[in-house]
Amino acid sequence: MKDRKRRVVTMLAAAALLLGVGAACERKSDGGSTGGASGEPIVVGSTLSLSGAFAATGAIHKIVGEQFVERLNANGGLLGRPVQWIVRDDESDQAKVSTLYEQLISQDRVDLIIGPYATPNILSAMAVAERHGYVLPQHTSVIAPLMTYPCQFPAWSIGPTPNEFVPNQLFDALATLPNPPKRVAILTNQNGSTDFVSYGAGDNKNGAISITKERGLDLVLEVRYPPNTTDWAPIAAQVRDAKPDLVINNGLGVDPVNLLQAMAQLGYKPPLMFSLFPAPGPLLGLGDLAEGLLSVTMFEPNKAALDRLGPEATEIVNEFQNRAKAANLPYTAFETQAAASWTAWEILVAGVQGANSLDHEKICDSLHASGAKTTFAGTLEFDPAKNNFWPSNQLLKQIQNKDWVTVWPPDRAAAQLRAPAS
Amino acid sequence: MTGRSTESPRAMRTSARDRAGGLRYAVAFVLAIAALATLSLYRETMGFPMFYLVLLTTMLFWVTQATSWNILSGYSGYFSFGQAAYVGVGAYTTAVLYGRHQINFYLTLVVSAALCAVLALAVGALAFRLRSLRGEIFALLTLAVPFILAALARIRPEIDGGQGVVVPIPPFPAELGRFQDFLYLINLLVAGAAVAVAFGMQQSRAGWALAAIRDAEDVAEGLGVATFRYKLQALVTSAVIGGVGGSVFALQIGFVAVESVFNLTIPLFVIVMSVLGGRTHWFGPVIGVAFIVLLQDRLTASGLGDWQLIALGVVLAGLVIIAPDGLYARLRARPVPVLATFALVTAALWIPDLPAEPLDAILAGMLAATAVALWRPRRRGAVPQTRAAETSAAVTDADAGTPAVTAADASAVARPSDAAKPATPATEPGEVLVECRGVARYFGGVRALEDVTLTIREGELVGLVGPNGSGKTTLVGLLSGNLRPTRGSIRVAGHEITGLPPHRVAHVGVARTYQIPRPFASMTVRDNVAMAIMFGRSPEPLAAARRGAQRHLEVVGLDALADVYPSALNLHQRQLLEMARALATDPKLLLLDEALAGLNPAEIDNAVEVLRRIHRSGVTIVIVEHLLRVVNQLATRIIVLDRGTCLADGDPRAVMSDPAVIQAYLGKRAHA
Amino acid sequence: MITLQAALAGALIGGLYALMAAGVSVTWGVLRIINLAHFGMILLSAYLTFQLVTSWGMDPILTLVVTVPGMFVLGGAIQWAYDRLGISELNSLLLSFGLLILMVQAVSIVWSADFQRMHESANPYATGSVTVGGLVFPITTLLAFGFAVSLIAGAHVALQRTFLGRALRACAEDPAVAAAFGIDHRRIGTLLGAAAGATAAVAGMLFALANALTPASAFEWFGTVFAVVILGGIGHLVGTLAAGVLVGMVSGVVSVVLSPAAAPFVLFSAIVLALLLRPQGLFATRGAA
Repeated sequence: MKDRKRRVVTMLAAAALLLGVGAACERKSDGGSTGGASGEPIVVGSTLSLSGAFAATGAIHKIVGEQFVERLNANGGLLGRPVQWIVRDDESDQAKVSTLYEQLISQDRVDLIIGPYATPNILSAMAVAERHGYVLPQHTSVIAPLMTYPCQFPAWSIGPTPNEFVPNQLFDALATLPNPPKRVAILTNQNGSTDFVSYGAGDNKNGAISITKERGLDLVLEVRYPPNTTDWAPIAAQVRDAKPDLVINNGLGVDPVNLLQAMAQLGYKPPLMFSLFPAPGPLLGLGDLAEGLLSVTMFEPNKAALDRLGPEATEIVNEFQNRAKAANLPYTAFETQAAASWTAWEILVAGVQGANSLDHEKICDSLHASGAKTTFAGTLEFDPAKNNFWPSNQLLKQIQNKDWVTVWPPDRAAAQLRAPAS
Repeated sequence: MTGRSTESPRAMRTSARDRAGGLRYAVAFVLAIAALATLSLYRETMGFPMFYLVLLTTMLFWVTQATSWNILSGYSGYFSFGQAAYVGVGAYTTAVLYGRHQINFYLTLVVSAALCAVLALAVGALAFRLRSLRGEIFALLTLAVPFILAALARIRPEIDGGQGVVVPIPPFPAELGRFQDFLYLINLLVAGAAVAVAFGMQQSRAGWALAAIRDAEDVAEGLGVATFRYKLQALVTSAVIGGVGGSVFALQIGFVAVESVFNLTIPLFVIVMSVLGGRTHWFGPVIGVAFIVLLQDRLTASGLGDWQLIALGVVLAGLVIIAPDGLYARLRARPVPVLATFALVTAALWIPDLPAEPLDAILAGMLAATAVALWRPRRRGAVPQTRAAETSAAVTDADAGTPAVTAADASAVARPSDAAKPATPATEPGEVLVECRGVARYFGGVRALEDVTLTIREGELVGLVGPNGSGKTTLVGLLSGNLRPTRGSIRVAGHEITGLPPHRVAHVGVARTYQIPRPFASMTVRDNVAMAIMFGRSPEPLAAARRGAQRHLEVVGLDALADVYPSALNLHQRQLLEMARALATDPKLLLLDEALAGLNPAEIDNAVEVLRRIHRSGVTIVIVEHLLRVVNQLATRIIVLDRGTCLADGDPRAVMSDPAVIQAYLGKRAHA
Repeated sequence: MITLQAALAGALIGGLYALMAAGVSVTWGVLRIINLAHFGMILLSAYLTFQLVTSWGMDPILTLVVTVPGMFVLGGAIQWAYDRLGISELNSLLLSFGLLILMVQAVSIVWSADFQRMHESANPYATGSVTVGGLVFPITTLLAFGFAVSLIAGAHVALQRTFLGRALRACAEDPAVAAAFGIDHRRIGTLLGAAAGATAAVAGMLFALANALTPASAFEWFGTVFAVVILGGIGHLVGTLAAGVLVGMVSGVVSVVLSPAAAPFVLFSAIVLALLLRPQGLFATRGAA
């Protein structure tokens, strides 16, 4: 036993030595190549949830970031200089987010930062950014009223009042159907973002629940479930018995998958269903069960949309697909999360270029003054009175023929909204 | 348990040295806190990087939590998996009261402390009252509590508004600097207080009581330690510290939602840090925190990416295997080589600026120092010779006339040895000391004792004998308060002890030893005995107790081994320790449960002599023994139990020739 | 009716909880090891099931042919390592925690952190059900319950009737004495760890049948599994099964009658009560394993 211990101790000592040597030759983490750009690199720092509860989506942001930086550098970099991206794993842990951003800013002295993933983490990062006066483009924080830092810039098209916009947009779209739904069941994940869309927050208590009633629709079922729900049968049974025309699941991740499966096990499929922030991939694997499911999106790589946006967008989408496949991601389409991520980077670049400087105050002012032109979200304007949440240009998407297509508003949709098969 | 070293111990502290030592610690502690505070207060002058302050803040948070855990779980051995409950209550209290309702931030710290104290009192009052509560059950109980609290927050979304609460920066004196300075200083204050409390507790009576509880709870109870009170004290202290730390944590993360605080990271890592650091000592968690937080930080910054967590898992597993008692114990064993290694390696890497980041140099130094600390060359310690052995040799010579022990109890039963010295009681049997009336004890369907009525008077030396399963140990358990009678009543020294907790029975004047000696493994022989004096009927402070312990050790002949740890004692010595410890409670009644089991003849004779000495000093003794030769030599009176009832009671010779007794032992074969 | 349906579905899925918990409970009760790596084994089996089905088109249940022996070996190896190291109960918690981190990260590296789910065409069991009267029995839950009952009943019988079983129980009660009778603690322990691994394989397969997988799933099981372990009595197999069913049922009924958020509240409060009133477990009988 002591021999074994001695061996292990030796290994530990060797490891210490290795670490010391390794530290001495400190690797540069994830950087891009520097084609075309020269000089001292501009360093962008951020954290991502590469492990832990949010890792499923964090992976997408990592690929997008790497792709963007490489492309940027190939096209001359930023202000003529190459860009280097340092990304750290925050392990989906809020406390680590604060510490890491602090480290990036004060210790590594990064020039720029970009936001992490998931609302609680973004809020923690925002606090740090605000303290240091750093501009923070962020991807996906939905609870707009909380995003009070004037120099945070959202890249997600959810608008300043998603709790009003999303339900209204949905109902507006559904009103165009031959038989608009009258009986509505609303199932809400108690996670902050999804809960906000159902119930509002603070002074603004509008949400899916109140809007349903305002529009004179019948709220036949209202359920709130905790994020770690594992047994969906009770909820499914309640839905079945309530006989709704429309099921609104303000949930995220694989909630709709679990719901649809549980309902199918009961031999029930809702005539029409909407899910707020689902993980797009697993739903497609449900086959017929998920046909007709609605959701919100910023962008879908449908042919019509790509045609409209041009060859560059197509190139980006295809490149992402290749990288995602190489990283073993199960769902490789460049869609909402990726588009939001790309847009965030573009906002950062636009701000720097607009200010022609790395001074954060100038960047912030430039973005307020001139906005940003983006590939997938068009031209954005930032109004501090609305916490920089630009008016939503969100679309509705639907699963048709086992793929996601945009269906609303009609002028930007790639396909037509399909009524439920009766 | 335990990897205590058996080498010759450091100085036996005298009381003056104790005080000086305590003073030294206090001064060092204040200096350390002051030094740490200057890192922030004079940060700009010193050019101290802000990020280091932030990293230290994280470490301070974990020090608070790990120390909180350690105060209960490390000290008392009652492992808790519910640290998240305190952090959660603390963070939520501050977030809701301050973030949502704008109540003064500093006031919320007080409210958190109060709420956590109430929570702990509730849990402790329920859990610790149970006699059947094993450590595992308590651990599982604490695991359930955070889940309940988290669910509560979900059920009542009005508490936090349903989506989490933003916690703004509270007003603080501008002289302190920036928010990170403020956060650091407030964390320093809380962590410093936590460590000070842990330190103070460890040195205090409570600390000794908790250590005893950790080592052998029911033994401690039998010595007079009010275990319920001390456990509750530790639990509440732990909760208050954890809660205040949680309140400050709310500031750090800036946004509090259910997932922020009620997750598995906190309870698991708190245990990791405390145990790896060393959980029986107040300094252990500090070391554990410093190591783990720095390691995690460096791994994250290393660019290892996916592999950083794998490295973490490997290191954790490795450390648990190599240093199961924690790093602090190893550090304490050889502080100089370890600290020197740390200093040298760190300097060697830092000065030439080898890694770009000095923290890497520090981590490398820590790892190297750890390796040195864990290196344990093979060594055999000699088992010390004992004065007891000499004594027993002397006794054997003196008893030269005594015939060798025969294997057959029967001969002893039928013919008590001629040369055996009958016991001479120190005084004539005096007042009634113990009165059992109609006592019965059932264990489910098993009737261990049935309708036992007997009286024991002061000054008697009663031998309690009987075949296996006759209920002897049960009776001892009843007399000491470890068991409650199913029926009947027991009075000792005029007090009704039925239903009293064991430590109260001990204070009435009953002491017992255990068949398998159960010393407090983490204390020296002297301290084991001192415990009995510290918590006995007339409690004394540690220093005086140690002096008194020395005297009792002399009675049993263990005084030469006073500074040794029980793991180094052989069986006989441990039994003598049991006796000394029991004696030190200044009992009126001493219950010896097969105190001579497993001894060789020389040791037995020694033990008999010790018992005589004890008896002569005025203690009434009840001795459960199988060795009838011994019982004959010692007892003034013999009680025979058979299958739970009293078979015979009286003069040894008469009892031993009673045919019913012989039949009970040997069946129908009678011996002449 | 809906309450009955919820209770029923919950009771059936409780079989899965029981199966997950059985391995942890028995190694804890008999070997005094709190093996968090068990969750890692369940996770690994779930992913292996997914991979075998997706790459080789195997029927999900048939993948057991591969995963059970694999986890049998892994479980035994891990237990052998614990024994060899002479690890204490608390330290086993920490060591296995380190192992769990390793396993979760390895899974993340191989399969990415994104959700993986067997395609509906490859997994015919996901949405099927059997209807009797007005009550619906989903196939996945029936399978879970069936496997749980047969495995646990089988194990229980083995423990009671076979020599091996008696040897195990002897080891649990008093390892030193058992050793004196020639029972090799290490071999028995390794065997038990291997058996626990095998149950992990089945549990993983059952989980993959009905859920999307992500590496973080392993940590999501902790709460439910330990609830079942506590209620069933540490080390008691049949109790674990009963507790799993009870946990599932209570969660289901409370979800419908009160709200889904209330389910963990009621459940864990019940656990606290159970611990205070019957610490040996609600269903434990004296000495049974």
